[in-house]
Amino acid sequence: MSRYILRRLGRGVLTIFVSVTLVFFIVRAMPSDPVALMISPQMSQEQIDTLMHTYGLDQPLMTQYFLYMKELLMGNMGMSFAKRIPVGEYIMSRLPWTLMLLAAVMLIVCIIGIPIGLYAASRKGKLSDRIISIIVTMGISIFIPFMAFLLLYIFSFRLKILPTGGAYTPPTPEGFELVKQVACHIILPAIALSITNLANAVLYTRNSMIDVLHEDYIRTAYAKGNDRKRVIRRHAMKNALIPTVTVIGMQIGIMVGGATITETVFSWPGIGRLVYDSVNALDYPTLQGAFLIMAVAVVIMSFITDLVVAWLDPRIKLGD
Amino acid sequence: MPLVEFHNYSMGFKDDDGNVSNLIDNLSFSIDEGKALGVVGESGCGKSMTSLSLMRLLPDAAVVQSGKILFDGKNVLEMSEKEMEVIRGNRLSMIFQEPMTSLNPVLTIGNQIGECLLLHHPDLAPDEIRARTIRSLESVGINNAEARLSQYPHEFSGGMRQRVMIAMAIINHPALLIADEPTTALDVTIQAQILDIMKGLKGDSGGLMMVTHNLGVVAEICEEVVVMYAGRAVERGTLKAIFDEPLHPYTIGLMSSIPTMTSDKSELPAIPGSVPTIYDFGKGCRFADRCSKCMERCMREVPKSLLVGKDHIVACWLYPEGEVV
Repeated sequence: MSRYILRRLGRGVLTIFVSVTLVFFIVRAMPSDPVALMISPQMSQEQIDTLMHTYGLDQPLMTQYFLYMKELLMGNMGMSFAKRIPVGEYIMSRLPWTLMLLAAVMLIVCIIGIPIGLYAASRKGKLSDRIISIIVTMGISIFIPFMAFLLLYIFSFRLKILPTGGAYTPPTPEGFELVKQVACHIILPAIALSITNLANAVLYTRNSMIDVLHEDYIRTAYAKGNDRKRVIRRHAMKNALIPTVTVIGMQIGIMVGGATITETVFSWPGIGRLVYDSVNALDYPTLQGAFLIMAVAVVIMSFITDLVVAWLDPRIKLGD
Repeated sequence: MPLVEFHNYSMGFKDDDGNVSNLIDNLSFSIDEGKALGVVGESGCGKSMTSLSLMRLLPDAAVVQSGKILFDGKNVLEMSEKEMEVIRGNRLSMIFQEPMTSLNPVLTIGNQIGECLLLHHPDLAPDEIRARTIRSLESVGINNAEARLSQYPHEFSGGMRQRVMIAMAIINHPALLIADEPTTALDVTIQAQILDIMKGLKGDSGGLMMVTHNLGVVAEICEEVVVMYAGRAVERGTLKAIFDEPLHPYTIGLMSSIPTMTSDKSELPAIPGSVPTIYDFGKGCRFADRCSKCMERCMREVPKSLLVGKDHIVACWLYPEGEVV
């Protein structure tokens, strides 16, 4: 087991290293110059040079890369070009908002998606299953920004029952009022983000449940005298949820990196919005930091997913 | 009163358009309490569907067309799902052909065997369930049973899994145990061990319905035999009658394709062709195409089941004389 963890750790570090390197060069391949955005016409050449020097932009590309990697190893992600604050601090101020949105989405997926998938499987081929399948197909193929604008149009513009954007209405409210406001503000982005994930969860749960219900051991369970409810609960569900857990786990990892489009449409102050702002501001260090967080999240989540799947399925041995 | 009685039972399969093709046609036989019956035939003869019909565990596409299946004098086909749940795994239990896939991969062996007790004796204490589970594992020859309770199916070999299946099926001392090709998927040496266990079970006074294509197994265990071909019982009778004096050309073909120690033939005789699918059944005798003694009448008319000797029934136009049963 400890060997397995070590090996996973090694592979994770390698994944993160490759992704950090790729991001470093891709960001710098953007056809514009961050300095041009930072300086104002009033600045003297001397001031500009000092600024360039402060951010290390006067160094050759490879030198910048090695400097960045060196600092990163010591836990320093650099200074944001746009905010002039440490990137770590900048990202940490946004991360909780993305995690909150993520939690809301996963709650919807697990509480609604899995039961609907199980229900559809038990009604396979009947009218209700067909209706669910049609909605699921629509959910998977729908263009999320369109859905986001549609939700905004209906609930914020027409019905005026939900706010249009942000996480709360400024000035920052206190205590319970803050909780209430955030709860209202999170509804629309959470719904918009849930749709595809929800549809996927329903689809995976339904299909694997249908497969499992045709397994020989399900027939054995009936032959013992189990009723249908017990067969599903005790014999089918654990087997059927294994693929769903894998899919949900991977989705969580990806979503920590923020949903750029949805967060931007709803002005949700998370990592996705940060990526959008940083691209606009050519804020290289912040972009690199955001992608680093994403890579770390994917690595950690795939590890956790493997642990959960191994716990559900005794055939999987993590030691080998 | 027999323990189990199939009365002119017919079933078939529904295709996507709702058309039903008949498989089992007018099947009748019975099993007396404590007796062992062998149901014999090649793959695709409807043997498994016969046992699943009795368990009422037929696949979704299956349709019961007519007849009765009596168990303890009650028609299984008319019982409610609740009544069936009380019988299954209790008075009536079944061992399946595929030990590798018939156990739940994510539940422990102890859990899966104990469940049979728990379902039918909910008042048993956990200790008692555990003790009986261990005893049942020991009775099918699993060593170190206590330690194996917490293991999962993938930690057992095929033969061991089939032993677990048997332990599960007999733990409630069923009045009838259906064994659907319990040895087919196993190695030859393991087959012999499993058969020994099955033979040992016979002493426990419960009835046995042994579904198999292996006549050797039938000869060792059963008292009565039903030979099935393409969904019909072509011949049935006592073990002695069928083995000493097989009448139906299909039964004779099956018998002569068993290798013997004394035979000096270099090649075993085989029945040419294979069992037709339900879409290729002719309107006469279903064996007609492969029968060396096929007559013109066989193609036209379904042979009647006639009593030709003491406890010996055959459905073949070669033997048109006899009492209609």
